[in-house]
Amino acid sequence: MVEAQLVLTALMGLFLAGVAVWLSRIEDWRSYTPLAGGGGAVGEESGYAHDEKPSGLIRWLTTVDHKDIGILYGAYSIIAFAVGGIMVILMRTELLTPDEAIIGSQFYNSLLTSHGITMLFLFGTPMIAAFGNYFIPLLVNAEDMAFPRINAIAFWMLPPGALLVWAGFLVVPFTDIQPAQTAWTMYTPLSAGVGTGTQAGVSGLGIDFMLLGLHFTGLSATMGAINFIATIFTDRGSDVNWANLDIFSWTMLTQSGLILFAFPLLGSALIMLLLDRNFGTTFFLAEGGGPILWQHLFWFFGHPEVYILALPPMGLVSFILPKFSGRKLFGFKFVVYSTLAIGVLSFGVWAHHMFATGIDPRIRASFEAVSLAIAIPSAVKVFNWTTTLWGGNLRLTAPMLFCVGAVSNFIFGGVTGIFTAAIPIDLVLHDTYYIVGHFHYILMGLLAFTVFAGIYYWFPIITGKMYQKRLAKWHFWLTMIGTNITFFAMLLLGYLGMPRRYATYTFGVGPQQIIEVLHQVTTLGAFILLVGQIIWVWNMIQSWYEAPTLQDNDPWDLKETGQFTNEWGWNERRLETAITDGGEEEETAMTDGGDPVDGSADTE
Amino acid sequence: MDDQPGLSDQYRMSSPWPLIVVLGLLFSELGLLFNVFPVAVGGLLLFVGAIAGIVLESGYADRPWNLLAGLGVALCVLGALVTVTQLDSVTFDAIATVVGRPNGIVGRGVELLIAGIVSVVIGAGGRFAESESI
Ligand code: HEM
Ligand SMILES: [Cu+2]
Repeated sequence: MVEAQLVLTALMGLFLAGVAVWLSRIEDWRSYTPLAGGGGAVGEESGYAHDEKPSGLIRWLTTVDHKDIGILYGAYSIIAFAVGGIMVILMRTELLTPDEAIIGSQFYNSLLTSHGITMLFLFGTPMIAAFGNYFIPLLVNAEDMAFPRINAIAFWMLPPGALLVWAGFLVVPFTDIQPAQTAWTMYTPLSAGVGTGTQAGVSGLGIDFMLLGLHFTGLSATMGAINFIATIFTDRGSDVNWANLDIFSWTMLTQSGLILFAFPLLGSALIMLLLDRNFGTTFFLAEGGGPILWQHLFWFFGHPEVYILALPPMGLVSFILPKFSGRKLFGFKFVVYSTLAIGVLSFGVWAHHMFATGIDPRIRASFEAVSLAIAIPSAVKVFNWTTTLWGGNLRLTAPMLFCVGAVSNFIFGGVTGIFTAAIPIDLVLHDTYYIVGHFHYILMGLLAFTVFAGIYYWFPIITGKMYQKRLAKWHFWLTMIGTNITFFAMLLLGYLGMPRRYATYTFGVGPQQIIEVLHQVTTLGAFILLVGQIIWVWNMIQSWYEAPTLQDNDPWDLKETGQFTNEWGWNERRLETAITDGGEEEETAMTDGGDPVDGSADTE
Repeated sequence: MDDQPGLSDQYRMSSPWPLIVVLGLLFSELGLLFNVFPVAVGGLLLFVGAIAGIVLESGYADRPWNLLAGLGVALCVLGALVTVTQLDSVTFDAIATVVGRPNGIVGRGVELLIAGIVSVVIGAGGRFAESESI
């Protein structure tokens, strides 16, 4: 024991010394590297000037450039998406047969928990921040985010967060520690380790790890949100005002507001739960605040969280859809108003997740009313998207396909939501696969679809290349078909009474045979989705490395319809600067000498 | 926010501090939650040090020492509060009993206190040393 302490102390000392050495080396480079000739004169626009950052790995570890951080966020989120995806493939494979066949139910529960947490906190929230980081400063003509270093801190909170969330899986082969099996809602008393059948003692350390990891991702989201708000409010260029602020920035602003009110609350509740677990407090125990207190706190965060994950995707649809419809977004103002309305209302509906808990019926009724009301601004958006498409000059590029698919999926997700907002219906459908189908139509069908749309749309800016269109179409159709097979079958399973969060379905609920077939259909859909995503990753990586450098500053022909927005303007200036400067070491280098005369005309 | 007074223009798009702030917080939280003394104290020191460093680098302060000492005082207060909650009465006897047979909570309080004291000492020492040389 004492020896272990000594070893740990020595290790910690070594680690601190290592940090000090690393720091002094970096400070040395900073002050003594000679200025590269002429490089000091780069305009503020070209964030990629090579003398502003060290090279190699150190560049990525120390960058405070919003574009680099955006790429880091994106890469991180896609890795998380892959991890969460592989987890769910294991789960769906288990569900091919009614009994426990491939993985045990304990492992299933661990996967279930981590899948949810990973997709919401390690993929969804950071992926949106990836777009925000890269594009908000460009869209509002800011030089960078308002607080570049806080931005970097916010990103670096995430990898330790992920490691902690997955820690149970990483150590399970060597220790008695089990990955958390609490489901993403972490309901007490289960998550407090109280009662039989819960993870107590050492095996429960997995829960502590996960709570700590969530705490980190929450801090990250909060810092990111403060940064987005400050950037949009204070760092706008002189030509960007509230009247012409783009729709994506509006949704990011609203979303950041939601984060600011929701995530600190989650952080506090998590600390309270950690205290209950480790320090003998009784916040959520029956003799203290009671288990329902957790549900109130959790859902006061949790419902806004679903809009935190939905508003920016809605912004992406509103932003990208008009570009390929050849016309401006129909009723721009109303899309902004509905965004703000959803933002406010989303804090008044949380107890619709608790209809079945036996809370006061008068409280339930008021939450039913507000929940039904929130469907109105959501429907306003669908209406505006549809009317934007109506009579437009549609171009079915990959980003457009994903936008249209997202609208279609959102209609499914939204309509099924309204049903569960009605108490009598919810009492029947609560805790069944219907709910799982509902929210996946939105999380996969809207969030993931718009993420794909955004990546395809801005791929030329981020990489200077174009993706392979054929593969992108394959990706879309496999994803669209896979999503609708998987989640529609889940809705049906829910109608038949199949409860959610089970590794088996040998118990006698509903017609066994139909349930089995529907489960197999769901799994089939999941495999189709998997194939689609493999194609996507391949397309992204191969195109980034091997596609020819794009010479076209306006690959989507946005100028024709007057929709050449700021980020493309920035990209154009960057490419033209690259020509006059004789090329940069970056991917955007243009060595064939393009047409330098035109290019130099409007660069100072 | 782009310019960093006091630094050369080299690498103005990079900073080593954010990563260190995060590592500091990570080790502090792990150490405090699981009550591992060296990790908690080392992590807290790294954390307050990195905050002083990043504030200095961004040009919000000319010197790190006052901030370092101030954060140290904050840690001390926090640690003392945590420890005091475990006392029956504020007497030397009570303190002696608790420290003699520390429970988990006192352990964490002591971790905070020690990290705080070290930070105060470094902060004050740095101030003193710099005032000599300038
Ligand atoms: C049209 C507006 C919406 C309404 C009226 C609505 C209604 C509901 C209701 C009443 C529930 C609880 C069902 C139950 O557990 O018994 C629920 C669950 C859920 N909804 Fe929605 N919803 C809407 C939109 C959304 C959006 C936009 C998202 C995500 C971006 C979302 C994500 C979720 C999630 C994740 C759950 C399940 C939480 C859990 O128990 O694990 N919903 N929804
Ligand atoms: Cu909700």
